[in-house]
Order: sequence, then structure tokens, then C-alpha cells
Amino acid sequence: MILATILFWVFAVILVGAALLVVGLRNIVHSAIALVLVFAMAAGVYLLLDAEFIAIVQILIYAGAVTILILFALMLTRITGQPTTNPSNRLWPVAFIISALVGLCIVLAIMLSPHAVSDVSNGASQLPANINNVARIGQLLYSPSAYSYVLPFEIASVVLLVAIIGAIVIAREE
Amino acid sequence: MGLTLYHFLILGAVLFCIGLYGAIAKRNAIAVLMGIEIMLNAVNVTLVGFSFFNTVKPYATYLTGQIFAIFIITVAAAEAAVALAMVIAIYRKRNTVDVSEINMMKW
Amino acid sequence: MGLYEYSWIVLFAPLLSFVVIIFGTRVGDMLSRPRVAVATTHAEEHAVETHGTHGEDHGQHGEDDDDDPKVPQLTQWAVVSGYVGIAIMAIAAIYSWILLFYSAFVPSSMPANGLNDIFSYNWFNQGATGSYVIAFHIDHLAIAMLVVVTTISLLVNIYSQGYMENSAGYARFYAYLSLFAFSMLVIVFAQNFLVIFIGWELVGLSSYLLIGFWINKRAKPEEQRPSPATASMQAFVMNRIGDVGFIIGIMILFANTGTFDFQKLAVDVTHMDKTVLTIAMILIFCGAIGKSAQFPLHSWLPSAMEGPTPVSALIHAATMVAAGVYMVARVFPLYLVAFPAAFLVVAWVGGFTALFAATIALVQSDFKRVLAFSTISQLGYMFVGLGVGGAEYGPGPGMFHLFTHAFFKALLFLCAGSVLHGLHHATHREVQDMRQMGGLATRMPITAITFLIATCAISGVPLFAGFFSKDTIIGLTLERGNWGLYIITLFTAGLTAFYMLRAYILAFGGTDGKFGGLWGGTYRGEGEPHESPPTMTIPLIVLAIASVVAGYWFGFFDYLHPGAPALSFGSIFSDGLTYIGIVTAVVGLVVAYVMYARVDGAKLHAAVENNAVLRTAHRILYNRYYLDTLYDWIARYLVLGLAHIAQAFDAYVVDGIVNGVASFVMFLGRDVRRTETGRVQSYMIGFFGGVAVLAAVVFVLVTYVR
Repeated sequence: MILATILFWVFAVILVGAALLVVGLRNIVHSAIALVLVFAMAAGVYLLLDAEFIAIVQILIYAGAVTILILFALMLTRITGQPTTNPSNRLWPVAFIISALVGLCIVLAIMLSPHAVSDVSNGASQLPANINNVARIGQLLYSPSAYSYVLPFEIASVVLLVAIIGAIVIAREE
Repeated sequence: MGLTLYHFLILGAVLFCIGLYGAIAKRNAIAVLMGIEIMLNAVNVTLVGFSFFNTVKPYATYLTGQIFAIFIITVAAAEAAVALAMVIAIYRKRNTVDVSEINMMKW
Repeated sequence: MGLYEYSWIVLFAPLLSFVVIIFGTRVGDMLSRPRVAVATTHAEEHAVETHGTHGEDHGQHGEDDDDDPKVPQLTQWAVVSGYVGIAIMAIAAIYSWILLFYSAFVPSSMPANGLNDIFSYNWFNQGATGSYVIAFHIDHLAIAMLVVVTTISLLVNIYSQGYMENSAGYARFYAYLSLFAFSMLVIVFAQNFLVIFIGWELVGLSSYLLIGFWINKRAKPEEQRPSPATASMQAFVMNRIGDVGFIIGIMILFANTGTFDFQKLAVDVTHMDKTVLTIAMILIFCGAIGKSAQFPLHSWLPSAMEGPTPVSALIHAATMVAAGVYMVARVFPLYLVAFPAAFLVVAWVGGFTALFAATIALVQSDFKRVLAFSTISQLGYMFVGLGVGGAEYGPGPGMFHLFTHAFFKALLFLCAGSVLHGLHHATHREVQDMRQMGGLATRMPITAITFLIATCAISGVPLFAGFFSKDTIIGLTLERGNWGLYIITLFTAGLTAFYMLRAYILAFGGTDGKFGGLWGGTYRGEGEPHESPPTMTIPLIVLAIASVVAGYWFGFFDYLHPGAPALSFGSIFSDGLTYIGIVTAVVGLVVAYVMYARVDGAKLHAAVENNAVLRTAHRILYNRYYLDTLYDWIARYLVLGLAHIAQAFDAYVVDGIVNGVASFVMFLGRDVRRTETGRVQSYMIGFFGGVAVLAAVVFVLVTYVR
């Protein structure tokens, strides 16, 4: 699986680099473009993990809708006459240190805690061979059997409804 | 060496930190939101990674991590919509999107 | 029995008098002064009292008016106040004399320990720990003291009618006299330490009020005389210093026995640790040191002479200062149980004070001051008497001297008052210096004769009262083998005779008088002094008779302490020591006579001044061994210094802490609120910082604390 490893590293490096660009670039529109790159690379990572549906949904939703949303918002909240549109605030050194510390903690936790997983093999090979990812997710989401996520699904739809209404209400012109 | 769970977990950790930095240290509200999106993506990566490397129990057939990731994406999208609506509303009122200037709860 | 039951009448009658005068007749007096201005504040009231009201003829509104304010005519109400005081005191005196005769001639009427609970009020009951009862009781000791107090109080009340004539504070004076009488009787009738302490402090209060009677009188630094206000404060504070020891002693006794009652104590202390008991009794004696002006708390008594002379006679000669002696006599059974050291302390303090005060009295030039130091000295004798009495004589010798001393000392003071009164009339100033008197015998015969009688009494001339009481004490000291005290008391007797006759000759005689200088002579002052009115001389005569007769109660010791040997002419005059005492007294008298009646005053003065030793001795004695200077220095630098330190401590440390707390709170408010920035991002910093810290903590705990 050398290819997988190479691809992983490619995706990972670009992903992390793009994320650094998102927080580092001074022009916010450039940051938004870098964010698209982040989403795309994340989709690539999902593909590596045999989660095709998630990858496609990531592209659709994140790189599609959310990015457009962000760009529209950037357009509507333009402030002219600023030296940079994506400045850092006064406490950025402190934030840097804190993020580094948090990161360190998480990494330590990862390395030192015992998981009840094997870290080698490919778990997806245990799936029945003739059901692809989408079908399986569909089964999990919609099936009326004992173990399904149909209730969270329904609730998620309500959440979306509320979000729509909320967004409209909040952003209305008075 | 082959890919292990640790790769994805550390990737997720790094992304989370970067997103945290963006959320804390940026003045533009939308930049903060972008940081939050990065954090959510980090979480997604971690979750899907767990679902892929899950072998001990026959939960592999249940793809729990992926289901989680779906719902996170859903909710993240909804939240981004509402949040950006709020940013626009604030912009209309205060003519600024600088979060350091929105401090009415200050002493 | 019935007579004793109602003896609380004697106790409460003066209180009734006080209340009636203060709230009744004095108010009437205030209101009925001509052209009334109703006073609304205390200061105004005093202004009305001292200066009358507006529109009065101020005339010579000089220094004297402020010192001793007079009104041209006493109002009816004021006069009534006087009569109320006298009448009630007369009732009390008569009742107490009846009690005396009844108890003396019908000894079975009173049980051995006296009658308890004539009047008892349960003040506070703490159950098992103790009950605090205000109780009064009567026994022979109380009756003996009662007679003294009421009789002299009555005579002083009558005397004050003449002395305080036309005084602006006439009614107030009688009120205070009644208050004092009541307070003293509380001490006399007391059944337990609580009541005696209440009376103790009340007497101190009355003394304060009466010494400082002339409120606006100024100090006279050239004569080394303080103002009455200062003097009264000094008296009160010195009393209080003694009271510290007193209270501690009482508390030690209470802690060990659980009772204040004298009779229960007399039984309970036998179970006490003797060392503790001895210490307690010595501390209780400290109270007596303060009250009875023994060394080192003696300075207030000469200053107390700033009060009116009847006050000096009543309080600072006969009764209040004797309260210390009475108290020690009252707890005599407790002293018997303690180590002999307690008695020795009492006797030696008394003896030392007697000598100390007598030496100072030798050179004083202020008439009343000589008498004040004489009082201190005689009180020392009383304590010596108490100290050497022992189980055989009981409190007899000391109390006997108190008994006789009260009469002749009161007489001495009243005579002095008469002299001062006459001189005041003659010179329109206050004259107390003996160097400005002289030859008054021809002008004030009754006063002179009674003073002479009193001088003989105090000097211990045979057949006068003082002889019996004093020589008993001197003899007892030797009988107990105490040579030191014997020499001291004997020598002091000589000194007493000396300075008393000196005072007499300086005031009433002179080198060119009749009877070899004893009667009359040149008058060194101004004006024409004359004899005092009968209202003043009659008490003098009564007291003169008493000064002679009082010594003849030979059964006194047995009266107080059953089983004590009685005095008798035979036992006195067959003892060789008596003659030594008589000789000493006579020597003192003769030396005084020669120095002051035969030798010219100027030559005497020159002789002292030229001789260096005599001069320094004179200076030291005149300045009262510079003890007053020392006390002043202590008060000014040590006490006030401590007060300043305490004040600085309060201002800087205590206030500093309080202000520091306040400023800390302000800091919290002002500076900590800055953390609330209103910006979510800074909150998130805190949030995730906390996450990091907690994670580290958990990591450490989980890894290492397994």
C-alpha cells in the first residue's frame, strides 16, 4: 500500500499547509480560497479511508455550499480602507502558545493511551463485499431494524429547517 | 511503513490546533468561522479514521465514525449558515466585522 | 432583735436625703433664683448656679468669685436642703448610737457572727458557679464604725451650714454629703466583697465630686497647689490604681472558694492553699493602700485638701480614708488564716508610711497640708495596729485608733476650717499659709482651745483619747518582738507631737503671746479675723469633748473580738513602756515649743538656710521627697508615652489593616474586572489554557500516581 501512504502524505501536507494559509494570509479572500483547498484535501483523505460517500458529501457541502456562503458573506461585509482584511488580534502570541499546548496535550493523549483498536489492518475488509459505502450508509441511516440512525437523521433535518429559518430571520433587512 | 491510526489522529490533532489558533487569534469574524470549520474538519478526519481502523468488535459493519461525520457535516453547514447570517446582521448594525470591537459585555 | 432588723434605715436614710435634695430641693433652688433663666444644658446649669442669672450685681467679679462663687442670699430651697441633710443624718446618728448602747449593754441581743441579710437583694444567680447577692449585715464592728461615720457626718453637716454660707452650690454640697454618707454606709454594712466594692467605688465617686466641688477654681502653682478639678481626678485615679490589686485579690479568693461572702470565706479559706491566700490578702491590702493613702499611693490626700474643709474633715480624716482600715478589719479572719507575712506587710507598710508622712509634715507651711500628712501618718498607725493585733487582740487596736482618731482629726480639720473661714472674711482672699497666720488664739478663742485639745489628743498626752489608742499600738509592737516597728512608731509619735504643736503655735500663738507664746501674739496677716458663728463652733466643742472621752472605752477590744484583753489604768500605767511613750511625746512638744514660741521666726529661718545639711533636708521634705515630681514624670512620660504608642499603633496598624482590606477589595474590583473584556476570544484563551493545564495535571496524576 505504498501508493496509499504516498497519497496520504501528499494530502496531509497540502492539507496542513492550506490550513496554515487560511490562518496566516492577510487577505481574507485568499484565506477563503485556501479553505477550499482544505476541504478538498480532506475529501481526499476520506477517500483513502474507504469513505467515498463522506468524501463526496464533503465536496458537495463544504467545498460547495459552505465556501459559497463564506464568499457571499465576505462580499457583503466588505470594509474598504483597511490595510489587511484578515488581521490578527493583540493576543496572538498567547493564542499561539495555547494552541501549541493544546496540540501537545492531544498528541500526548494519542500516543500514550491504549486504544482497543488494531492500528494496522484494514477494517473495511470486514464489510460484506457486495455492499458499497453509500448503500451501507443508507442502510444504517434509514433501515427500520434495531440498529439504525434514523432518529438522528430526522432530527438533523429539523436542525436544518431551523437553521434555514434562523438564517433568514437574522439576516433580514429591517 | 503502512498507514496506521496514529497518522490520522495526529493529522486531526494538528488541524485542530491550527483551527483553534485561527478561532482565537483572528479579528475578522469570518476568519474565526473559517477556523471553526477547520476544527470541525479535523474532528471529522479523526472520526472517519477511527471507523476505518476499527477491528476488534464487529462494529466495523456499522460505520459509526462515518455516520458521525455525516451528521457533523450537516450541523456544521447549518451552523455556518446561521453564523454568517449573524455576521451580516452585525455588519449592518455596526458597520464592522471586527470581533474585538464587539465588546458590549465589557466592564 | 427588732432594733437590728431595722438598721437598714441607717443605710438608706442618706440615700433618701440625696435623692430628695438632688431632685427636689436643689431643683427648687435652681428655679427660684432671682430672674430665672431655665437652664437647658449642664454647662448652663452650672453657669446659672455659679453666676446667678443675668442682671445680677456682679460687682467685684474677681478671681475669688470664680473660685468660690457666692450668692448674696440663699434661697429658701437651699436652706431646706441643708435642713433635710442635717435632719436625716441626725436620725441616722441617733439610731446608730442606740444600736451601740443596745449592743454594748445587751450583748446577747446579737449573735456572735452578727446578723446577716438585714437587707438582701439577689442580683444575679449563676446556679452552680455562684450567686451574686447584694446583702448587708450588722455586727459589732459595723456598729462601731457606724457610730463614727454617722456622728461625724452629722457634725460636719451642721458645720457646713456656717462654712458654706451663701455659697452658690449650697444644695449641691448637701446632696453630695448625703451621697457620701450613703456610700460609706454601704461599705460599713457590706456582707460580701461585691457590696464592699460597690461602696468602695461610690465613695471614690463622692470624694471626686466633693474634692472638685469648686469647679472653676484655678490652680496655684506658686503654692504647689493644683486646681480642685485636677486634685479630684488625682484622687480618683490613685484610688483606682489601688483597686487593681483589690479586684485581683477578690478574684483570687472567689476563684478558689466560689464565694464573696465574708463569713463563708472565713470558713472556706482554711481549705485554700496558704501561699495563694497570702498573696490574695496582700493584693486586697493594695486596695486599702489606695483608699487609705498609704505609701506609695499617698499623693492624692494632700491634693484633696483643695476641697472645702468640711469635706476634708469628713472624708479625708475620719471616714473614707478609714474605709481601708475597716475593710482589713472586716476580713481579719482571713488574714489570720494566711501566713504571718500578710500581717507583716500590712504592719510595715503602715509603719513606713507613718514615719514617711510625719517627716514631711514637719516642714509644710500650708495649714491643711500638715493635717493631711498627719492623717496619712495616723492611718499608718492604724495599719500597724491591725498588723500586730494577731489572734489575741483581733482588729481591736487598729480600730480603736480609728475610732479615736476620727474624732480628733475631724476636730482638727474643722478648726482649720474655722480659721480659714475667719481669715477669708478678714482678707477677702483664700489664705492657707501658716506664715500669714499667728496669734489667732486671742481672736478665735474657741477654735484655739479646741485645736489645742485635739493637739494633745493626737500627740498622745496622757488622759486624752489618742494616748490610749496610740500607746496600745506602740506597746503591742514590742510585745510581738518587732523592734523595727517599735522604734518607728515611737519616733513617729515624737514627730507627731512636734509638728502638731508647731502648727498650733504658728497659727494661734507667737513668740510674744501669753502663757509663754501659746496664746495670742502678733498676727502676720491682713485684716481682722474673728471667731466663727456658733453653727461652726458647737460641733468643735462637741468633738473636743469626744476627743477626750472616746479613749475611755476600755472594753473596745472585747467588743469587737470577744476574749481580747481589756485596757485598764492599772495595766497601762504599770507598764514601763508607757512612760517611754509619754516621754517621747513630751520631748516632741517641748522641742516644738522652744523652736517656735521661744525662738524668733526669722532667726530660725536663717539658721536653717545657712546650714547646708539642714537646708537640703528642708528642701527634700518640703517637696515631699520629690515623689510627686516622680509621679508626674511617670504619668507624663511613661503613661502618656504608652498612650501615644498605642495611638500610633491604632492609627497605623489597625487603621492600616482596615484600610488595607478596603484597598484590597477596591483593587479586586478595579483590576480584576479587566478580565471581563467582553470579547469571546479572550475567554476562549482562558478556556483552552485551562484545558491544557488540566490535561497536564491529569497526565501527571495518571502516569505517576499509580
